[in-house]
Amino acid sequence: MRYSLILIVLLTSSLFSDTEQTMENMENANVTVVCPTTEAPSVLEENKDIRISVVGQGVAPMHTASPAQAYALAKRAAVADAYRLIAEKVKGVRVEGDDLIKNMMVKRSTVRTTVKAMVKNASVVETQFKDGLCEVEMEVSLSYSDFTH
Amino acid sequence: MRSRDGSFTILLRFYTLILFNTLTLSASEYLISYRYIVKDAILYNESLQISQAMQKCQGSMQKTLLLDSNGTKNLQKIVSLNHEKFISFINSIGLDISHKESSVNFQNHSTTILTLPTTCFKVDFNDNFAKISSLK
Repeated sequence: MRYSLILIVLLTSSLFSDTEQTMENMENANVTVVCPTTEAPSVLEENKDIRISVVGQGVAPMHTASPAQAYALAKRAAVADAYRLIAEKVKGVRVEGDDLIKNMMVKRSTVRTTVKAMVKNASVVETQFKDGLCEVEMEVSLSYSDFTH
Repeated sequence: MRSRDGSFTILLRFYTLILFNTLTLSASEYLISYRYIVKDAILYNESLQISQAMQKCQGSMQKTLLLDSNGTKNLQKIVSLNHEKFISFINSIGLDISHKESSVNFQNHSTTILTLPTTCFKVDFNDNFAKISSLK
């Protein structure tokens, strides 16, 4: 019985001494916390311009007064599409998706995308019109100074 | 019977009113807004609104466009004569883009709205051309 008591006292004292040491070690150690950085590397550099080129498509309506009107309307639609593509490339797209599943079957699948932006200084490079489809190539150049203000 | 002094004040008011109106209406500043909608890759609606500014616009001149006026001082006529040139000028100023696209059961529908918010333009009419400058 005595031996067992002595053993218990010795064990507990050794345990306490260990914890004190570890606490001292923790206090003395220089802990450096490293957090993952979220900053993306900058795409635009001061002396380098980025040129973005897109091809927008537009369709002429079925009933038009003349081929010239069809061309003009299709071109306008194609320019709007090209603007949208530029906005998507520069600013990004918001995407929402919904799937309705009933009795283990997809009843309805919906994907909605939205883009909202302001585009300046975009210029039409080339226009093609063939079989009622108009394709417009548009360009916009982005420079570092545009975004510093 | 009205006295001479009374009629004088009425006339004074009348002339100042005319003077004020002529000053404001002859100001060569115009408010222009432009908007067009494209639905499913087909032009759906296009509107160009031009009206004379009733108040003096604030801001400095930004971009300038020269259009052939053929002697007329009517901006709407000048713009309709040089429609494509003017629209490309508006495009270079900058347009707000709002695009919505939905795909339901793999059938796609899209609507794109391009808008030039109401912007003030200074217009100088000359004999053969009109100088249009956007103010900001």
